[in-house]
Amino acid sequence: MDFDFSGDQEQLRDAVRKWVDRAYGFERRHGIEKAGGFSRQAWDELAELGLCGLYVPEADGGMGMGPVEGMVVMEELGRGIVAEPLAQSLIAGAVLSGYAGAELKAAWLPRIAGGEALVVLAHQERASRYIFAICEAKASQTGDKWALSATKNIVPAGDKAGAWLVPAMANGKLALFLVEAGAAGASARGYSTQDGCRAADVTLVNAPAHLVTLDGLTALEHAVDIGIASLCAEAVGVLDKTMAITAEYMNTRKQFGVVISSFQALRHRMADMKMQQELARSMSYYASLKLNAPAPERRAAMARAKYQVGVAMRFIGQQAVQLHGGIGVTDEYIVSHYFRKLTQLEMGFGDTLHHLGEVSQRMQDTAGVFA
Amino acid sequence: MDLAFTPEEQKFREDIRAWVHDNLPKDISHKVHNALHLTREDMQRWAKILGKKGWLGHGWPRQFGGPGWNAVQKHLFEEECALAGAPRVVPFGPVMVAPVIMAFGNEAQQKRHLPGIASGEVWWSQGYSEPGSGSDLASLKCKAERMGDKYIVNGQKTWTTLGQFGEWIFCLVRTSNEGKPQTGISFLLIDMKSKGVSVRPIIMLDGGHEVNEVWFDNVEVPAENLIGEENKGWTYAKHLLSHERTNIADVNRAKRELERLKRIAKTEGVYDDVRFRDEIAKLEVDVVALEMLVLRVLSAEKSGKNSLDIAGLLKIRGSEIQQRYTELMMLAAGPYALPRIYEAMEAGWQADQYPGSALHAAPLAGTYFNMRKTTIYGGSNEVQRNIVAQTVLG
Repeated sequence: MDFDFSGDQEQLRDAVRKWVDRAYGFERRHGIEKAGGFSRQAWDELAELGLCGLYVPEADGGMGMGPVEGMVVMEELGRGIVAEPLAQSLIAGAVLSGYAGAELKAAWLPRIAGGEALVVLAHQERASRYIFAICEAKASQTGDKWALSATKNIVPAGDKAGAWLVPAMANGKLALFLVEAGAAGASARGYSTQDGCRAADVTLVNAPAHLVTLDGLTALEHAVDIGIASLCAEAVGVLDKTMAITAEYMNTRKQFGVVISSFQALRHRMADMKMQQELARSMSYYASLKLNAPAPERRAAMARAKYQVGVAMRFIGQQAVQLHGGIGVTDEYIVSHYFRKLTQLEMGFGDTLHHLGEVSQRMQDTAGVFA
Repeated sequence: MDLAFTPEEQKFREDIRAWVHDNLPKDISHKVHNALHLTREDMQRWAKILGKKGWLGHGWPRQFGGPGWNAVQKHLFEEECALAGAPRVVPFGPVMVAPVIMAFGNEAQQKRHLPGIASGEVWWSQGYSEPGSGSDLASLKCKAERMGDKYIVNGQKTWTTLGQFGEWIFCLVRTSNEGKPQTGISFLLIDMKSKGVSVRPIIMLDGGHEVNEVWFDNVEVPAENLIGEENKGWTYAKHLLSHERTNIADVNRAKRELERLKRIAKTEGVYDDVRFRDEIAKLEVDVVALEMLVLRVLSAEKSGKNSLDIAGLLKIRGSEIQQRYTELMMLAAGPYALPRIYEAMEAGWQADQYPGSALHAAPLAGTYFNMRKTTIYGGSNEVQRNIVAQTVLG
């Protein structure tokens, strides 16, 4: 039991933090948002730092690192509300190296690690909400060739990606495929999201696909859990910065002749926000440290973490805006951008109520175990 | 970073578990698991068993006869005791006054008092709060005047937990009215058998006698019972309060009580009601998050690398959780929590004599009422929020 970061992990944190501070200021971020929510240039800079290959094995050109390193990186990106979806490379790197065949790995892992290929998870369907078993996408097989027909929504940077990881029903069972963006019958319609990032609806009409694994549910659950742990870490970074912005504002803004941080009603609100911030950080650690646990334990842990972090994101986001007063609801001032990011993250990979339901359903039947 | 305990720590846990299993009297753990009434004899029997093993002062360093455990070992010991249904160690002696005597007392005081605390022979009480001094403790008025080699103590203390059993009491007393209120306070050890000490019960909203008023009427206290220097008592008290706060999160008991809540919810048929079970699910996440918070503090203590300034958060969250599980237990039993039958809280009372044969429900409302204290004592949660806000806003 140890919550200290190693020297290497601290160095990694410093490197990412320096990049965010130096190269990803609010003005650039604002510009990226106005330009549609994704910057290839910024993506290439992340790749130069080696971050796209964080979960790609060293033999395949990546850094072969683990959940704690992923957490450290995502926290720092969260601090700068970086729009480019690095978590997708963590998911793709881990899922392909864990479940794909040798040929697919050789073709894609080095390019994911190098940043040339942005591979993103495209699993959201209108009817499925957060239930993986509900999947209308269909895969058909001819010889050893697969083709997919599907409509997937809110796919992160879906129209900028080089390939999508797509779950689809193959012979009545969920399987996972990789579909190249340039494939015949594949199209993507991009749009901005509330957090200033980018997403797309991806439509596949009998599009040629590479099989990743026929055990699609196992792989998809793993993919989503990596997504949840990454999201929780990103959220901690967003929360830390939101708290810092709010504290600074409260110590500067004067009303009734004094700084508003002198009012006890507001101080107690900040204390409650600090509570949520530290609970969220604790549960983000918990999520990352459980990411390599056996699937049932891992799944239960992610639900607990996402629930707690979701509560914290909503509370701190709303209260940070409230404590700013009128300036908090403007686009010009930075805090509203953090609030929108927190709101977006709350709905990523299952919202708070969904995960409460997961915890409730899974609540281990240990009643009486200590008696 | 690693969530798992080391093999040495796991071995340590197993050893503690085996020892507690062999040594904790079953009649006592039965009462704890079912929130039945614990007598003085129950509490002291367990204290003496621990004392004989050298573990009543389980947080003590070796030089004072403690086991010299680190923060993690202490946590594991406390967790194993709590899960097994051991009564909470009455903290006033071994957890609260002993560290002050070790840090600020002289050798004679250490020799005189520590053995009786370590063995569980001597029951200590705490004399801090006064009727006019709750959150604003430094305004306390109970006066000690130096007359030759004695102090003459006059005044009143209140909320003295289990003071009806107390043999000694450590008190904050006013020895000076000069300067700031904090600078005129001294730390005095008082024999409760002294002439002029009287203890009067305060009956709480649950009908129980847990706390007391302690009155001092011209009580003569030998000057050798002063800890450290006169007028420095506030510093010593703060040292003690910092000990109290990490202890107060009580996450181990929360883990045990969460399982008891599930048992009760099942018995009452509300475990399958999604609305009710979701409330337990929220509490389960709260308990896991609190445990993670506690483990982060322990890890920081163990490595000495980071200091985590979150004691106030532990107190707030721990106390809120304690209140919540008692609340949900009571709600689970619903109307069967309402009969106020004190005898039903004694071991051996027969279920068929309780309305609806719902014997497990007998203590639930009382415990709920009793636990309202947790957000009030040890520095009220509002005072804690002031402290937490200070760390964020300066």
